[in-house]
Amino acid sequence: MRIVLDQVSKVYNSAQPNEVVALERVSLAIDKGEMVCLEGPSGSGKTTLLSILGCVIAPTGGSASIGDKKIARLPDHFRTSYRRQLVGFVFQHFNLLEERSLLENVTLPLYPLGVSPRVRRERALPLLQRLGIDHRRDFPVRQLSGGERQRAAIARALINDPPLLIADEPTAHLDRPLAGEIMDIFAALKAEGRTVIIASHDPLVVTHPAVTRRLALHGGRLLADPPGQR
Amino acid sequence: MTPHPLGRLLNILDYALSSLRRRLLKNLLVFAVFTLVVFLFSSLLLTRGALGDLAGRLLAAAPDITVQQMVAGRQVPIAASACEGLRGIPGVGLCRGRLWGYYFDSENGANYTVIGLPEGPAGQAPASLSHAVEGRLPQPGERGKAVLATAVRQQLGLEGRRFFSLFRPDLELLSFEAVGTFTGSADALVADTILLAEADVRHLFALPEDQNTDLLVDVVNPLEVETIAAKIADRLPGVRVISKERIAKTYRAVFGWRSGITATALLLALSAFVILAWDRASGLSGEEVREVGILKILGWQSGDIILLRFCESLLVSLFAFLSGWLLAWVHVAHFQAALLRPVFLGWSVLRPQFPLLPPLAAADLFLVLAISVVPYLAATAVPAWRAATVPAHSVL
Repeated sequence: MRIVLDQVSKVYNSAQPNEVVALERVSLAIDKGEMVCLEGPSGSGKTTLLSILGCVIAPTGGSASIGDKKIARLPDHFRTSYRRQLVGFVFQHFNLLEERSLLENVTLPLYPLGVSPRVRRERALPLLQRLGIDHRRDFPVRQLSGGERQRAAIARALINDPPLLIADEPTAHLDRPLAGEIMDIFAALKAEGRTVIIASHDPLVVTHPAVTRRLALHGGRLLADPPGQR
Repeated sequence: MTPHPLGRLLNILDYALSSLRRRLLKNLLVFAVFTLVVFLFSSLLLTRGALGDLAGRLLAAAPDITVQQMVAGRQVPIAASACEGLRGIPGVGLCRGRLWGYYFDSENGANYTVIGLPEGPAGQAPASLSHAVEGRLPQPGERGKAVLATAVRQQLGLEGRRFFSLFRPDLELLSFEAVGTFTGSADALVADTILLAEADVRHLFALPEDQNTDLLVDVVNPLEVETIAAKIADRLPGVRVISKERIAKTYRAVFGWRSGITATALLLALSAFVILAWDRASGLSGEEVREVGILKILGWQSGDIILLRFCESLLVSLFAFLSGWLLAWVHVAHFQAALLRPVFLGWSVLRPQFPLLPPLAAADLFLVLAISVVPYLAATAVPAWRAATVPAHSVL
């Protein structure tokens, strides 16, 4: 499943005094099984690029496709369907529902699909076991540690078995050993053949041996050679 | 993977239920207020319905037409001979005089209605009256015997005694023996009644032999009652002619929609539901926006979010409606509308005892549903739409 962006732009508040050009004619191609690290300072357009790749928002210019699916001009309903099928998200702030149990959080993407509670549980438990948090499955998320939360977020991202995993600063709130463990999990997911795209400043992420490519954004433009490119 | 419609609905219902549990205190408060308003309004409707039914059953046995003589706007005795003229009107089946009057018991501060025992054509009391009495009725020609309403018996302090006395206008004391008591639903109509032989009533009130309190007329064809009532009014100037239908209309006005108490309660209940709905319609908290953003980025469609909001509102309002209605039913049928009875009975010294049997009227049920669940759900539409339009990228 190849991801291709061609001359993709994103302008917020177009033709208004507060117009912001978040992305400007970005072109790139990411092959199946790659682990790509996206770098850049705050405001460089990383989150906007991840949002377009993750079918969350539509670009205002250019074309984008994931595999054979064109995602640039899709109505919100179809973008959501594709997102559900193709993309798993891991967020900087975990974005878990604090009062709900770990198991509920992990299975949230399955609710609108009409998956029965029994099947939801059957699909979640192996993931929780793999990530070493199955003993916490009935705990409310607010009682989990930072590392457990990020593992929960990864389990949730994988519940639909998506081919593409997008992570936005996934190690920002973790200590070094935990951050290393999370990166090892991403590396294992890459080894399974999933495409992993991570936006991060963290040197531990940037220099991780599983990262196959680094992309740098600045002012909404993709730089040819990020500083320190191997 | 294609969503399974029924599974999707059940899952979203499940999620809505757990959301409500998580905001337990707030939702319990809304539920409690909602239930209370439904309970009060439903109790009023059920009591109104039960009283209306009771009035209907009692009126079924009433004469078709009552004729009263009026002087200067006040009722005065009417000549018994007036019946002779009325019998000549085609369609009039039976005309007879009735004796009754009010007796003020200064010792207890209570007003009793003293009624002469109506006798059938063969000199017997109507069979329907015998069934409404525990004990017996005065026999034809028997003097000094009385049938009392339960409340009158209590006011006169007759527990363990059978004899009581009433004063004539000339202060002569007349003694009576209580031989029966009104029972069941009849007590609603006769709460303040003392039933005596007609001769005793005439003697007690010192009424001349040829005078009655009013005349009762039965009409052969019920469809002709109003026509015959008009003819009676033409034939006897200065009388008030009251048809059974007019009394029924009065009851309907007292217990119906346009009666003050029902209209006021309807307005109050509607206001309460609007306030509850306004709470539902006003704003999305930051926590709610975040939750919706997370759900949407995880693949929940806008339709799923709208359905979720509707399920939450439906669960609260429908269960509150059902609880309120059931509580109201128990309140009226089992506890005899203990909270509302004083409102309907007023401050009378004599309180009628009668069983309330609330009717199961679909119209009432739908009315409560329409003013409670429907506005609450309607008020959900705006915030549900606002929630559904929270962009998925708001959590990125």
